[in-house]
Amino acid sequence: MSRPDPSTHGTRVVKPADFDTFWDNVLARSDALPLNATLTLDPLRSSEEVEVYEVHYDSLDQVRIAGWYCLPRNRPRPLPARVFYPGYISEPTLPKAHAAQGYATFGVAPRGKLRSHRQFNPGYPGLLTHNIVDPQSYAYLGFYVDAVRVIDFLLQRSEEVDPQRIGVQGSSQGGALTLVAAALRPQIKAASAGAPYLTGVIDAIDLTRTYPYEEINDYLRVHPESREAIARTWSYYDCLNLADRIHCPIIVYIGLQDDVCPPETAYPLMDQLASSEKRLYAYDGHGHDANHYEHDQVVDDFFDAQLELNS
Amino acid sequence: MKPDDFERYWSQVDQELAQVELAPERTELPLRSTPEGKVYGLRLTSLGGYRIFAYFGIPEGAGPFPVIYRLPHYGSVVHIPPYEERCQYISVALCHRGQRLSDQPFAASYPGLLTHGIESQDGYIYRSIAADGLRVMDYLLTCKEVDSRRISVVGGDLALWTAALRPQAAALFYSPSLFYRALERAQGTQHYPLEEYNDYLRSFPQIREQVVRTLAYFDPLHFAPQVQMPTMLMEESPGAGDELAAALGGPVERYTSHHSSYRDGVSQANWLAGQLQMPAPLLPQHWQ
Repeated sequence: MSRPDPSTHGTRVVKPADFDTFWDNVLARSDALPLNATLTLDPLRSSEEVEVYEVHYDSLDQVRIAGWYCLPRNRPRPLPARVFYPGYISEPTLPKAHAAQGYATFGVAPRGKLRSHRQFNPGYPGLLTHNIVDPQSYAYLGFYVDAVRVIDFLLQRSEEVDPQRIGVQGSSQGGALTLVAAALRPQIKAASAGAPYLTGVIDAIDLTRTYPYEEINDYLRVHPESREAIARTWSYYDCLNLADRIHCPIIVYIGLQDDVCPPETAYPLMDQLASSEKRLYAYDGHGHDANHYEHDQVVDDFFDAQLELNS
Repeated sequence: MKPDDFERYWSQVDQELAQVELAPERTELPLRSTPEGKVYGLRLTSLGGYRIFAYFGIPEGAGPFPVIYRLPHYGSVVHIPPYEERCQYISVALCHRGQRLSDQPFAASYPGLLTHGIESQDGYIYRSIAADGLRVMDYLLTCKEVDSRRISVVGGDLALWTAALRPQAAALFYSPSLFYRALERAQGTQHYPLEEYNDYLRSFPQIREQVVRTLAYFDPLHFAPQVQMPTMLMEESPGAGDELAAALGGPVERYTSHHSSYRDGVSQANWLAGQLQMPAPLLPQHWQ
């Protein structure tokens, strides 16, 4: 039996009336916090072409966040920059190879990831349902802010980074954090989101039995009374509801047989994105890989053009 | 080149393991169990008295059941075995020492693990990690719910090592990973984790010879002749596994990856079902 066309699935996600107030308040809390960033050169990871720094900065609740910051040697500055957001179970990328091409690059470890887990460590599985019944203390509140504050860090590095040429990218949870950052930091010039997670969450949990979304189904089996509270929490965090704040050029790529982040959730996202330059690449015959094996070149070409790498 | 004492090196690991009690402790994780099967957290003692963790899923119904034993990839987090597998098989996912849930007292660094202790073949962390993989096999062979004639091993080089050193496995689904032509492949990339080798050799060029020697004990080519069970070799590109296919000791089928988690996943599920004499596998809805 063939599945229905995923583009016709639609969504049950609703936007709360106080959604913008919620995020404006969160951003105000974040903006009031100094980054207190530190950079430490890592000689072991640095090469003849690239300097690698371990960065730490403060985020919400004074949680200290780690990241890898790579700068190409012998390139005219300020540089275009690319931020790489990690997947749910992935370690943060150390994006040295892209730095060698001429970008300042940043691979962030939001709270709970290795090197950022001393003060907050809900574990895997665990992160997705940590305080999921309360939007004010849900795990992804700080997690999203950690991702946004990478941009704040780069905007402070004007001697190295051109603030007009910052791009964000990632796949799966990295795709979700790409959307979050692009929505909450309009300074971002271009974005690429693969197999975006945390998009249409209450739709997705009925479409898949695969982790990480299955964490929510596990939770609901034990706490069936919490379905409404979970839907309410997710209405504040769902990337669908952030999408109308995204105005930069953006590409999205998905696999039509993705059992992790169901493709059905990508189509409402495309409808909601406010960008005038947006494109969906939907790959038949691919799952959660979203054909990155071939599509990575599309992403590189997109950023090279949008961020004027060779200008 | 294969070290002269390759067999002795690994028999020494086995001897050390034999002196350590398994001390299994299996605790149900009710949050992860479903009506179709229970999920347990399994703790065992491995080399050096180190306690390791594995997810252990048992389907509902009368056993014994065939097993899909997944060895982990490179990274700190291991997923619970897939729901669909848990409905049909005893499904096991190891968290080797250093990975989350097996990270007390040793928490691995990423990057970092790949070269941890590489300056000595006896101190290299992967000697112990390989033992962790064997330890779960030792447990499976004692477990009354397991059909010990139908155990499959799935994964990268850790899976190959396990299959080579535990011939009781009935089938191996193998995707060559970080130890196959390790330094040769590292030379052609700046991407992690292979870049860890380059970082290390750039900083410590004087011990390159010893690094080469250490890695020789972990080279899949040196294990391959010991693998006697039916093997599916998943290659990155056509011909990439020629050398390995020729070296493997048992019947070999070859499959070139489509670089698609869907197409590769369906092929793997079907092959395992065939090897383990099971009906057609349950598949995620989006793979049907």
